[in-house]
Amino acid sequence: MPNNQKQIPTDNYFSLLALPVSFNIDRKALNNNYHEVQKSIHPDNYANGSALERRLSVQKAAQVNDALETLKDPLKRSIYLLLLHGIELNEKDNKMDPMFLMEQMELREKLSQLESFDDPLVVLDEIIDDVNSRIKELVTELENLFQKILSDKSNSEVEKLLEQVKSQVLKMQFLNRLQEECLNREEDLANQY
Amino acid sequence: MALLQISEPGQSSAPHQHKLAVGIDLGTTNSLIATVRSGLAETIADENGQHLLPSVVQFLPDTLSDNENTYQTEVGHQAKTNAVNDPLNTIISVKRYMGRGLDDIAEHSVYRFIEEEGSVVPRIHTAAGNVSAVEVSAEILKKLKIQACNALGGELTGVVITVPAYFDDAQRQATKDAAKLAGLNVLRLINEPTAAAVAYGLDTGNEGIHVIYDLGGGTFDISILKLSKGIFEVLSTAGNTSLGGDDFDQVIAHWMMSEAQITDPDAALQRQVLDCARQAKENLSSQDCTSIHIELPADKNWHSELSLQQFEKMLNALVRKTLVSCRRALRDADIETSDIQDVVMVGGSTRVPLVRQMVGEFFSLEPLVNIDPDKVVAIGAARQADVLVGNKTDEDMLLLDITPLSLGLETMGGLTEKVIHRNTTIPVARAQEFTTFKDGQTAMAIHVVQGERELISDCRSLARFELRGIPPMVAGAARIRVTFQIDADGLLSVSAREETSGVESSIQVKPSFGLSDNEIETMLKDSFSHAQDDIDARKLREEQVEAKRVVEALNSALAEDAQKLLSTDEAAEIRQCIDELIQVAQGADQRAIKLKIEQVDKASAEFAQRRMDASINTALAGHSVDDIS
Repeated sequence: MPNNQKQIPTDNYFSLLALPVSFNIDRKALNNNYHEVQKSIHPDNYANGSALERRLSVQKAAQVNDALETLKDPLKRSIYLLLLHGIELNEKDNKMDPMFLMEQMELREKLSQLESFDDPLVVLDEIIDDVNSRIKELVTELENLFQKILSDKSNSEVEKLLEQVKSQVLKMQFLNRLQEECLNREEDLANQY
Repeated sequence: MALLQISEPGQSSAPHQHKLAVGIDLGTTNSLIATVRSGLAETIADENGQHLLPSVVQFLPDTLSDNENTYQTEVGHQAKTNAVNDPLNTIISVKRYMGRGLDDIAEHSVYRFIEEEGSVVPRIHTAAGNVSAVEVSAEILKKLKIQACNALGGELTGVVITVPAYFDDAQRQATKDAAKLAGLNVLRLINEPTAAAVAYGLDTGNEGIHVIYDLGGGTFDISILKLSKGIFEVLSTAGNTSLGGDDFDQVIAHWMMSEAQITDPDAALQRQVLDCARQAKENLSSQDCTSIHIELPADKNWHSELSLQQFEKMLNALVRKTLVSCRRALRDADIETSDIQDVVMVGGSTRVPLVRQMVGEFFSLEPLVNIDPDKVVAIGAARQADVLVGNKTDEDMLLLDITPLSLGLETMGGLTEKVIHRNTTIPVARAQEFTTFKDGQTAMAIHVVQGERELISDCRSLARFELRGIPPMVAGAARIRVTFQIDADGLLSVSAREETSGVESSIQVKPSFGLSDNEIETMLKDSFSHAQDDIDARKLREEQVEAKRVVEALNSALAEDAQKLLSTDEAAEIRQCIDELIQVAQGADQRAIKLKIEQVDKASAEFAQRRMDASINTALAGHSVDDIS
């Protein structure tokens, strides 16, 4: 019985939910383990407990909820993995690939002129598809990068690879914001109709 | 080991005694109360065998009571009947006004709203005096409480009250305040669609993703839930707190008034027109056409027909509004309509055929209408109350709920910075860092808002407080960490801390349109005959109950885990503390008990922490991965 004796450290979200530190997440295991932990510590189990127990269980449940939310989303997971490697994203470092910025501006412009198209919803769908496929590509790239980083700790390239992750993460943040905006527009259009 | 013996009125202190817990559906149009008896959840009828209590309160001129804060009221069926003749003193659909300011209250209300000095809560002028929406709701809750106590033969240990998922913090707090005034111990507020899903899910045992479409008298909610192995996980929710069957009535009423050329109706005529409209709507659920009569002054009566087709044309836009919310809920849950197992219709307004038809088309699924849409919410609430009060249940049920609206702060330029996004599972704690805008700035105003929009003015203001005593620094050098915490009840607290100096400030969010603690205290006091004595006695009793709870919890924890997790000395120290608490709790000194509880908490904090960690380890034993790299 491997690992049963091992005290599971609670100092990172992966170990909290008994998952290996990795970019690839077994969604089924994540959900399963999350449910098991919540079943054991959720405040509802302590409705008759002392104030102290209730407070502790609220804190713990909040932490576990945060772990789930961080690990299930590729962007948040990437940022968290960077953090575990001692890299904090700063609002100031947004050096961007000019090509990427150019594409972004084009997409945003198209989005702002939606109303001038005959069928704005069709154009919007195209933009959303485009954004989604870019996000997918980025996820694949992040997957490869993290695999290299995590498989070989002694790798002298780690620093460089982490920098690459950082620039991809910044792009992903951009795309996520754009995606959110597209969806808001979609809602506005649906409301008008 | 000695067990603390404290008896509460009507309640035995024997362990595992079945405690009386109820669920309350405090609806816009009707309210219900339900409980679990020998494993079966059922609604409780009144002395006439009626389950539905109309949410209508008539305030009568005060003749008997010499106390200005106890009202003479008629609640329920009789009040509903009296409404036509006494429209201004009979409050209908009060739920629409809960937690609302004067500006929010729709202009077509028949009531006379007034502002009272020293209070932000609007009052309705009635024959019995000026009453707030909270007090009106409390009258409904009191009636339900009596109904339940009579039927169950005892005092209620706790209640779960349902609210629309889309209720904001102010509306939730107002509901809690009403319960407090009615003398109810609220275990939890839960969302109506969640309660419906619990009742439905436990009933059928169907695993998978369920959509609850809940269109009531005054509110609309859509919730998407996943049920797997006894866990109800709310994935997303959306809705509109001022859209419901009442609006259907309004649409018909408008049509009637313009057809009948009524331009300036008095309150009684307005009431008559609305009642006619409602009747017409109900008739059109089963007929293709209905006739309408209005009695106008001077015997100029008006008569007409309304066809189903005409009615549906009027409704179309309103129903479509609900579908926009459905689309958003799907998006937030990150699922497709094809992932959905079933769509459950809840709320009286889903009886309207057009609603069923349009919802069915939207989800490409025949919506389920076979459960009693009126009772299902109260029954789900009763189930959850039974769990929370600690009655042993066979099913192992856990509800993971979410916060329906985003919470954030005002930043420069009147913009909102979201700290907790909508549809985040609760409890949750999130922190965000801010900095100063000016050189030498020593204070920072924290403005907490709720809502999805970017502009502060479009969001609901929840609270304001200030962080003072920031050491003077250049602009942008201070690091102010603002932490939002939402507990399992969905209630928010916010704290701010300047990291370099450690200056702190925090607030338990009291909504801007809520009654102040003082106002509540005054209302409570006034409702007792011997105000101060009763309050002191109540406080002592509450503290004794908490002491009992602490002792019982710790004793059972020690029995389970003392050997595994504590040294002999540590265990002895905790036992010593428990014995002292038992001693003190037998006395009548409320403060001393409180202090002792704090001491016990301190002595056992480490033990509780170890137990929590051990419980996670046990939960994950066998799930853990072979090699954590």
